[in-house]
Amino acid sequence: MKNKRKRNGAGYYMICAVVLVFTIVCLYPFLYVVAMSFSSTNAILSGKVTILPIEFQFTAYQEILKKQQIWSSLWVTIRVTLLGTGLSLALTIAAAYTLAKKKLKGRKFFSGLILFTMYFSGGMIPTFLVVKGLGMYNTLGALFIPNAVSVFNFIVMRTFFREIPENLEEAAYLDGANDWQTLIKVVLPLSLPIIATIGLFYAVGYWNDYFSALLYIQDPAKYSLQLRLRSLLFTEELNTMAGEAVGTPVMAESLKMASIVVGTLPIIVVYPWLQKYFVKGVMLGSVKG
Amino acid sequence: MKRKMEKPLHFYLRRDWLLYLFLVPVLLYFILFKYAPMYGLVIAFKDYNVFEGITKSEWNGLENWADAFANKWVWKSVKNTLVLNLVTLAINFPLTIILSLLLNEIFHMKFKKITQSILYLPHFISWVVVAGIATDLFAQNGGAINSLLGRVGIGPVPFLSNEGWWVFTYALCNVWKEIGWGTIIYLAALTGVDESLYEAAYIDGATKLQRTIYITLPMIKSVVVTMLILSVSKMMNIGLDAPLLLGNDKVMEVSQVLSTYIYRLGIEKAQYSVSTVIGLFQSLVNIIILFIADLFAKLIGEEGII
Repeated sequence: MKNKRKRNGAGYYMICAVVLVFTIVCLYPFLYVVAMSFSSTNAILSGKVTILPIEFQFTAYQEILKKQQIWSSLWVTIRVTLLGTGLSLALTIAAAYTLAKKKLKGRKFFSGLILFTMYFSGGMIPTFLVVKGLGMYNTLGALFIPNAVSVFNFIVMRTFFREIPENLEEAAYLDGANDWQTLIKVVLPLSLPIIATIGLFYAVGYWNDYFSALLYIQDPAKYSLQLRLRSLLFTEELNTMAGEAVGTPVMAESLKMASIVVGTLPIIVVYPWLQKYFVKGVMLGSVKG
Repeated sequence: MKRKMEKPLHFYLRRDWLLYLFLVPVLLYFILFKYAPMYGLVIAFKDYNVFEGITKSEWNGLENWADAFANKWVWKSVKNTLVLNLVTLAINFPLTIILSLLLNEIFHMKFKKITQSILYLPHFISWVVVAGIATDLFAQNGGAINSLLGRVGIGPVPFLSNEGWWVFTYALCNVWKEIGWGTIIYLAALTGVDESLYEAAYIDGATKLQRTIYITLPMIKSVVVTMLILSVSKMMNIGLDAPLLLGNDKVMEVSQVLSTYIYRLGIEKAQYSVSTVIGLFQSLVNIIILFIADLFAKLIGEEGII
């Protein structure tokens, strides 16, 4: 088969070339950001920077990492990501495990209750009022509790649990294990890949979330990283900062790019693991019902 | 068998009490954060007062609805939501299919793997970062893209400050972010295509293009149709991040969409009741579109989408 296709030489390499163009367009902004963040002011001003840093320097990073607000926002986001991912996984596993069990009475009703929220919701304002009414306004909890469960992830996980051979669980029950022990000793060890995938999905979601903080956080000291990034990227804050940095000539632009790198680096670091599983996750999620 | 079905409720409660216990926090979550806000929708028919709360505020019939629909920004937001979604779909949908077909042809596995890794990556980048990069790259003065265009004698193009160009730039950023991710579903469908069909066609002298048109496309037709119906059914839905972060005062006439307007009216101006009306109106239209799309999918012999 391979050889037969190879005979279409020229056409094949044209296809490769087109795919390469798509890939370069995809990659270019990343290279540009990194290059800008390491380049000198002169190089940026003269518009010479394209994909490689020119007059390599760390100044922008030194300036950005000196900022107390970056660290406090980073700390907020780290806590939200860890606590949120933990809560999300616990709730999603609990829901998926119980509702994957055919023996459970009322299973269809409870599943329906969850699935319904995919198609209809109270929307932004009523949710905001409820969260505020619960006393969560301006608290860390508001950044992960109101959106803890993704129905899509619930479906993915339930589909996975359903595919675990029933006799494995039956054997555990016969040995006198209860539902909790079966979950911990039989089901979870078999589901580590899917738990890792969904955990990573949740973690990336929390890391990238900016809307919850925009909605629920008023106190700048409690800003999450993305909200902080927005105020750095879209207001004059950094221009003033660049002006103040006497003696170390840095441009607002390289400061912006450095802060983008700082905020995105963790995603890039976990990406190889993420990629290992997400294709399967997407396919499981498309099997509905 | 029949007797088994009629066991009393407490039998199940006793046998599966642990499972029901697991469900308690889940149900609590959905009731508090999903169903309580649904109840909160009643303020669409009330004169919501912060001090009285949702339950005690006075009913005022359809007054909020009259206010909402008399507001020209509401209609503009509806129009802009549809326009931005349609333009994005028109570019993204065919391009995603083309890219999938191209990727499917590649049999140098290493090259394919690396390109796919790069193409999927933007999906995981936050909108704050994407918009931050985009405003820099597309800037009219000194932006990398305009200086590149300047070198070949074009521009400067007002990508972010001209209304028409802004819509295009918005769509482009969306395509950049999601095109790779979108290929996953098509690539999965494409691996299901029977290889022997290609071989037979090859022996009959079919060219690559002919094979694509007469074998590949019919084989993935049902995925394509389902994805199209799914996207169309989401026409009235739009994320808040992209239009809010990419938008600016100069292009407000085209960048104000339902989600951003609800945010600005509800959260920034604290007009809770009227903004709730707009949100409820959007949800209802969404559900109607969804049902029609589902019906349509079944009518043309595809799987339903609900």
